[in-house]
Amino acid sequence: MATQPENNENPSVVYDRSLGGMVRDATQAFIPLQEVYTPEDIQDTDYERDLNDPGKYPFTRGIYERMYRDRLWIKSFIVSYSTLEETNQAFKEYLANGQTGLRLLADLPIQSGLDPDHPSSWNAMLCGGISSYALETYEKMLDGLPLENVDYELAHMGMSSFLCCYSYLVAMMEKRGLDISTLRGAAINDPFRSKIVYGCPDFPTEIDRRITLDLIEFAVKNTPKWKAYAPNGVDPQQSGFTAVQEAAHVLAVATAVYTDLINERGISLDEVGATVFSMDAESDFFETLCMFRATRRMWAKIAKEKLGATTARAQSLRIGIRTSGLSLQTQKPLNNAARVTLQILSCVLGGVNSLDASSIDEAIGLPSREARLFNLDAQHIVTHEANVPLVADPLGGSYYVEWLTNKIEEEANQILQTIEDNGGMWACLESGWLRHQIDASRMRVQAEINEGKRLIVGVNAFEGEEGPINKAIENCAYKVPSKKMRQKTIADVKRLRATRDKEKVNASVVELYNATKEGRNVVRATIEASKAGVTLGETVGVIRMAYGYGYDPLNQIEAPAFITELLGGK
Amino acid sequence: MAAQEKPIRIIIGKVGCDIHERGALILARAFRDAGMEVIYLGRYQTADTVAKTAVDEDASVVALSDHTGSMRYIADEIVASLEKYGGSDIPVVSGGLIPKKDLPYLESLGVTGNFGPGTALPIVVEHIQKTVEKSRQAAKA
Repeated sequence: MATQPENNENPSVVYDRSLGGMVRDATQAFIPLQEVYTPEDIQDTDYERDLNDPGKYPFTRGIYERMYRDRLWIKSFIVSYSTLEETNQAFKEYLANGQTGLRLLADLPIQSGLDPDHPSSWNAMLCGGISSYALETYEKMLDGLPLENVDYELAHMGMSSFLCCYSYLVAMMEKRGLDISTLRGAAINDPFRSKIVYGCPDFPTEIDRRITLDLIEFAVKNTPKWKAYAPNGVDPQQSGFTAVQEAAHVLAVATAVYTDLINERGISLDEVGATVFSMDAESDFFETLCMFRATRRMWAKIAKEKLGATTARAQSLRIGIRTSGLSLQTQKPLNNAARVTLQILSCVLGGVNSLDASSIDEAIGLPSREARLFNLDAQHIVTHEANVPLVADPLGGSYYVEWLTNKIEEEANQILQTIEDNGGMWACLESGWLRHQIDASRMRVQAEINEGKRLIVGVNAFEGEEGPINKAIENCAYKVPSKKMRQKTIADVKRLRATRDKEKVNASVVELYNATKEGRNVVRATIEASKAGVTLGETVGVIRMAYGYGYDPLNQIEAPAFITELLGGK
Repeated sequence: MAAQEKPIRIIIGKVGCDIHERGALILARAFRDAGMEVIYLGRYQTADTVAKTAVDEDASVVALSDHTGSMRYIADEIVASLEKYGGSDIPVVSGGLIPKKDLPYLESLGVTGNFGPGTALPIVVEHIQKTVEKSRQAAKA
């Protein structure tokens, strides 16, 4: 591409009429595009069969008849700062400003299945969120916040987090005497994502696979408004997948887990109800919104034809979004406001049901409060000033949009066929095939960036200088927790261990071990263990031991003496 | 670089629980393409493992990657572990999400580079080549 004049002392300005011209002729997912689309490009499309009205099978145009007129998307985002008190205050402020989904997270050691006093916890402790090592942390974090009929979400990575944090929510309700069937929300729980993206060490895949079914089964029977499982495409795409690969991936994950659920637990999709997919909104505007339309249509067909769903609810797909963190840049962070706003718009035009918009300062640190309020305000502006949500699927019928939706479905179907030819998703996970697909795609994207075929403003094009506004954004991003805060967290978990009722702890540890070993559902035992003050790291260790694995996922520490004593003879 | 010079052997380390791996994987490929011998230990490593591997494998340089903002704590541990295993002469570079205010501290520990996201790959590669060159000169002197 053309370059700016280098020498500032030279007064003559180079005029280049082609500067800033297009460098691509394909989408982010490498789909080549024509200059224009006409009726000929969608001549095989049948309205009733392929699109149909919103709220009708195959739900291409959205899952509700009146779409956003009846309910806007849930405005959800992660609130998880280093301290419980700060997180609690932040939730209260954001709720007052229009946040409607409370998305919970924890720091990276907890998400890996480790207590704060594990030797490998120190470096990342309180980074990315609170240390939810036991029920008492949730009681502090959610103090004064309602639990019934509120949309909660768990956005963690490891199966142990989903098991324990869901148990904390249920335990809190039971302790307060509330009806647990009013617990609402979803866990972005996906046994594939925790392994291919994170290599999460808490449990091996065989345990993840079993606990996923335990969680779905328990929720279907006890907390039916809670979605215990949501195939996740966000993180695979952030790691390297294209939008097309992401669509195929979430569909394949859902198929694999539901097949297990039907075969091993005898629970039908009709009993499960609507399925939630957690998906990514990348920067390619049309490709992103077409991916949502294609995925809804493909899921409806799979649910009906392959998995035996008979109700409209069980055939309809709710899409929860996290906009791309990867697309946000540290260079000239003000530009991230434009990126996020366009991603929000593509989500709304694509008919998503919940939206977690990334923050303009997210490439620098955890989102600051004002950046979060911008996320909410941007959505309020899209709603109340731009009037975008008034009409359902406003781009439906566009030659380009329908062609691209069809194209994504066609390419995703080819990937689904390849997965089947390779023995299905579990086999593709174990063999490393999935991981290889992500790696190969990432390298292809990176090669385009290196060659200047994929321009990122401020990074490999239009670098420019940062002024005071950009510098202020950099200075406002949330700061990393201090040594003192980390030391206090370690002291807190040690105090809990020293003061809890030993008899209750012992009884619940033995029951958790037995339930795991005897193949009973582990969720009830985990809820009772959390009420007794058993920590997340201990829960992980006991379940691992019941499978014959070592207590510590990282093999750096021994099991606590009382656990060895209790379970030693078993 | 003289023809008889050994290729650069680089250890890429992620210490602790940071799961953001994309940068480390892209750099591993870029280093290999630049003719280096790359040992990527993967995630969830301890500082001791990284330092001990660097010494055992006679590494030319250790590259740390972290996106939690905690590089200063990781660097503390790595420097101490390298000293423990007799590898204090091995230079350390870093990259990832590194708070600007921590840069002087990292430099004071001798941890250089400290590149942020989006840094062009040739800049990182060149810094490593220069750093290793300097450390080899120092070893000869």
